[in-house]
Amino acid sequence: MWLPVLFLLLGVGLGLLTDITIPNQYSNYLSIAVLAAFDTLLGGIRAHLQQLFDAKVFVTGFFFNILLAAMLAFIGIQLGIDLYLAAVFAFGVRLFQNVAIIRRKIIEKKLNYKEN
Amino acid sequence: MRRSKFLISLVCLLTGIMVAIQFQSNQEPKQRDTRDLWEIRTQLQKEQKRQLELYQEIAETEEILQQYQDQSEQELVQTLNDTIQDLKQKVGLTEVVGSGVVINVLPMVDETNYLQTYPTVSPELLNRLINELNTYGATDIAIENERIIHTTPIRLVNGKTYVNNRPLPTGPLEIKVLTNNPERMLDHVQVSQSRDEFALEYLDLQTEISERIILPKYEGVVDFDRLHVQDNEQIEMGEN
Repeated sequence: MWLPVLFLLLGVGLGLLTDITIPNQYSNYLSIAVLAAFDTLLGGIRAHLQQLFDAKVFVTGFFFNILLAAMLAFIGIQLGIDLYLAAVFAFGVRLFQNVAIIRRKIIEKKLNYKEN
Repeated sequence: MRRSKFLISLVCLLTGIMVAIQFQSNQEPKQRDTRDLWEIRTQLQKEQKRQLELYQEIAETEEILQQYQDQSEQELVQTLNDTIQDLKQKVGLTEVVGSGVVINVLPMVDETNYLQTYPTVSPELLNRLINELNTYGATDIAIENERIIHTTPIRLVNGKTYVNNRPLPTGPLEIKVLTNNPERMLDHVQVSQSRDEFALEYLDLQTEISERIILPKYEGVVDFDRLHVQDNEQIEMGEN
């Protein structure tokens, strides 16, 4: 369980060290991509806890979600509608659901461990 | 199991990088102080001068306060009258005599232009000139015997320029400026931007130094309708 956290920190460190910034007009895309990534990540952890984890689903989900969100943002900008809000909303809701399920699973695990 | 952990870790890595980039992109660039030593020193000098002026002002005010507190009633009235006179002079309600610069606004004769009309001085031009004169250190200004005070309106009414609610004559204008250093003022006016702006309207500024200029007092009534005295308590409470 520590490996993902370690890698997350490693990623943050790498990102900060490389000193990459993106232009302001693209920050919308990146923000939504970050959201999609978080969503996929938490989904993956949830699936892992539920023993439903499938590597293919996970990896394809990660990239597909990011692409879809970015595309939605792009279309939104072209049409002058804040479509990226739809993605933000969807990901936000899923994020909360996933976190809730993860929390329950962890509590269950702990309780089972104690009872045993 | 190990593979899934590894995949999650990899996605974590990517997410981390994205978060870091997003974070960095959203950081506002800090305002950098690009002044060099000389500029900072000049700024410091300016502030110190201002501080000195403020101290002086405080000392003067305290002196007046002391006078009020120490004196008998008769003297008190005298001090009050002095203060009123002083304030009146500051505001421009008294005649003042001093050295300064007289600016004559004359039309430029353009010989190639047969249909030239007599140029008029627009309020904008006058405003700019007055602003410039004030920055050059004018203490008192009068335009065609109309004393300029803090609330003097200069505006266009029916195509005519009004100063202090009186129309300016169409002929050459005389602007009297009192200043502590007339020569410097003269030099300033001769290279001023207003000169160019007046020239665009076919107006020429002719300047001369005069040792004794009499400025008339402001003839109107200074309106205090919207001013009211604030109690000390109110000030302390921070109420308006």
